[in-house]
Amino acid sequence: MQEQFLAQAQQQVNAPDIAYGAIAPVLIVLGFACLSVLVEAFVAKERRWGLQIGVAAAAIVLAGASLAAFISSNDAAGGPTGKTGVTTLAGAVSVDKPALFLWGTLLALGVLALLLIADRTVGGDMQTEVFPLFLFALGGMMVFCAANNLLTMFIALEVLSLPLYLMCGLARKRRLISQEAAVKYFLLGAFASAFFLYGLALLYGYAGSVKLADIATAAVGTDRSDTLLFGGLGLLVVGLLFKGSVGPFHTWTPDVYQGAPTSVTAFMAACTKVAAFGGILRVLTVAFQSTQWEWRGVLWGVAIASMAIGAIFGLTQTDVKRMIAYSSVAHAGFLLVGAIAMNTDGLSSTLFYLLAYGFTTIASFGVISLVRSGSGEATDLSQWAGLAKRSPLLAGVFTFLLLALAGIPLTSGFIGKFVVFSAALRDGMAPLVVIALVFSAVAAFFYLRVVVLMYFSEPAEDGPTVSVPGAFTTVAITLGTFVTLLLGVLPGFVLNWASSGGFLS
Amino acid sequence: MLEAFEAAAPSSGLDPYVPLVALFVLAAAFAVFSVAAAPLVGPRRYNKAKLDAYECGIEPSPQPIVGGGRMPVAYYLTAMLFILFDIEMVFLYPFAVTSDQLGFFGVVEIVLFIATVGFAYAYVWRRGGLDWN
Amino acid sequence: MTPTYYLLLSALLFSIGTIGVLVRRNAIVVFMCIELMLNAVNLTLVTFARVNGQLDGQVMAFFVMVVAAAEVVVGLAIIMSIFRTRRSASVDDSNLLKY
Repeated sequence: MQEQFLAQAQQQVNAPDIAYGAIAPVLIVLGFACLSVLVEAFVAKERRWGLQIGVAAAAIVLAGASLAAFISSNDAAGGPTGKTGVTTLAGAVSVDKPALFLWGTLLALGVLALLLIADRTVGGDMQTEVFPLFLFALGGMMVFCAANNLLTMFIALEVLSLPLYLMCGLARKRRLISQEAAVKYFLLGAFASAFFLYGLALLYGYAGSVKLADIATAAVGTDRSDTLLFGGLGLLVVGLLFKGSVGPFHTWTPDVYQGAPTSVTAFMAACTKVAAFGGILRVLTVAFQSTQWEWRGVLWGVAIASMAIGAIFGLTQTDVKRMIAYSSVAHAGFLLVGAIAMNTDGLSSTLFYLLAYGFTTIASFGVISLVRSGSGEATDLSQWAGLAKRSPLLAGVFTFLLLALAGIPLTSGFIGKFVVFSAALRDGMAPLVVIALVFSAVAAFFYLRVVVLMYFSEPAEDGPTVSVPGAFTTVAITLGTFVTLLLGVLPGFVLNWASSGGFLS
Repeated sequence: MLEAFEAAAPSSGLDPYVPLVALFVLAAAFAVFSVAAAPLVGPRRYNKAKLDAYECGIEPSPQPIVGGGRMPVAYYLTAMLFILFDIEMVFLYPFAVTSDQLGFFGVVEIVLFIATVGFAYAYVWRRGGLDWN
Repeated sequence: MTPTYYLLLSALLFSIGTIGVLVRRNAIVVFMCIELMLNAVNLTLVTFARVNGQLDGQVMAFFVMVVAAAEVVVGLAIIMSIFRTRRSASVDDSNLLKY
C-alpha cells in the first residue's frame, strides 16, 4: 500500500493550463472582494461606505466587460455559432454557453442587488462588511455555475453560502429577528452541505473521481455498485435542492426571507436560485443523463411537492415577505420541471426562467423595502390595505410584478412558464405539466389577493407610509420592472442566447 | 521522502512497525521514570498554585460570577482566529510534497494563497481582532 | 484490508450526526453534530482513496477540513452574536419567526 502511494506521489504533476480570458470575470469579482477586505482594514470608517460601493460596482462592471470580451472572442472563433466554450483549470471549471449565460445573469442581478444594498436612505444601515461579503458570495455563485467537478462545486457552495449566512444577520434594526434568521439559515445550510458532501464521497467511491464527466462514464458501465451511485446522487441532490429552496427542503426559506435585511433577501432570492439551479442543471445533465430513467420519477415527486407547498402555504401567509418566500418555493418547483426535461429546450427554458424570475423578484423586494411604518418595514399584509389610494404608482408597479410572478401574459413570467412547460411537454411529461398549471392557478390566487387588498380595501388609520426612494432603489426597481416587461414582450434575444449551446464537460 | 524511514527499519525482515513499538516503549518508560523519580529526588514545597488542576491559564474554579460562570468572549474570538489560520496551513503539506515537480507555477500559486490569507490577517489586525480587550 | 468496516463506521458516524442535528436543541450541540457528519465524510473519502489507490481522496479530506474550520468560525460568530443579544443558545428559544 505504501509503495502504491509513493508511486502516485512520484508521478509527474503538471501545472494545469489556465484560460485566463475565460475565467477573468470570476477572478475579477474575487480579486475585488479581497481588495474590499483591504479597504475594510485600512480606510477610515467615515469614508468606507462610499469607497466600498465604488469597489463593488467596479468589480461587477469590469467582470461584465471581460465577460463580454470573452463571449465575442469565443463567438468569433469556431464555427457559425461560435465555440461551445472552454474547459480550464485541469477540467475543474467549464466555461460553456450555459455558464456564460448564468454569469451574465448573475452579474446583471448583482448590479440590481448592489443598488438595493447600497441605498441607505430607505432600508438598512448595515455594516460596510456587507460589500466584501456580497462580492465573495457573487464570486462563489459564478464558480458554482461553472464547476465541472464536485469538489470545486462544494468549495463554491461554501464560498457562496458562508457570506450569505453572515449577511442575513447584519440588520441593525430588528436585530433579534435578523440574527435568528442567520442562525437558522446557518444550521440548516451546514446540515445540507454535509449531505452534499457525503453524496460527493459516495460518488467518489463509485467512480474513483469527482469529475462530472468521469461519473457519467462510470455510470454507463454496469459492473459497479448501484447503491453508491444512487445513494450518492440522492444525497448530492438533497444538498442542491436545499440551496434552490425546492419543495420539502424549503423550511429555511420563509424564515430567512422574512428575517434578513430586505436588500439581502433580494440578492439571496434571485442570485442563489440562479446559482443553485445552474448547478442542478449541470449535475443532472452532464453526470447523470444516462441514468435518468432511474431518478426522474423521484424528482417528479419533488417538483410536485414544491409547487404544492409553495402554492398552498402561500395562501395562508399574512406577511408579504413570507408570501414571496412561498412563491419562490412554488417557482422552484416550476424550475425543476424545466430542469428534469433533460433536453436542450429544457435547459434553455430553465435558463430563461431564472433570468426572468431574478429580475422580477429583486424589483419586488425593492418595492417591499419602501413601504414602511414607524418601527421599520411594514411587511404585514393588513398594513398594505388600500395602498393604491396613497401611492398609486408604487401599487401599480407592485401589481405588475405580482402579475409577472403569477405568469400573466405580457410579463416575463408568462413567457418563462410557457417555454418551461412546452419543453416539458415535448419531453413527454404531460401529467406533470397539467399539475404545474393547476398549481400556478392556485398560486395566482394569492398574488391577486394582494392586488385586491391594495386596490379595493380602505386604508387603515395607522397605515404605513411609503418612503421616498433613494436614487439607487429607484433605479433598481425601474430596471427590474422594465426587464420584466421587456422579456414579456420581446423575449427573442434572450431566448436565443439561452439556447445557443449546451454543457461542455 | 520515506526512504530515510525505510532505511532506518532493520532489513532483517522485521515488521516496519517495530520502531514505532520501540518509540512507544521508550515514551512510556520515560513517563514512568519521571513520575517515579520526581517525589524521590525533588524538593517538597507546596503552595496554592501547585495544588491547582493546572498551573497556568485561568482559574478553573470558582468561575467568574458575572456572566453565569462563562469564559470571557475574548477566548472564543482568539480560539476562532487560531483555528482558521492554523487549519489554512494544511494546504502547505501537499504543496511541500510536490513542490519540486510543480516548479515555479507552484511557488506563484502558494504565494497567492498566502497573500489571500494575509488579507484576512490584515483585516483582523486592523480591526482589533488581536487585541485582548 | 476490508474497506467495508471503515465505510460502515463512517455511515454510522454520519447517522449519529444526523440524528443529533434533528433531536438536540442547543445550537452549539447541533453544530457539533454537523461537524461529526463532516468528519464521517472525511473517513469515507480517505477509505475510498485507499481502495482506489489514489491520493485524490486524501487531498479532498484536506479541503473538507478547511471548509469545516471556516464553517465553525462563521457559525460560532453567529451563535455568539445571537447569544449576546438573547443570552441563550437554545434553538427552541429562537421563536420570533414562525408560520
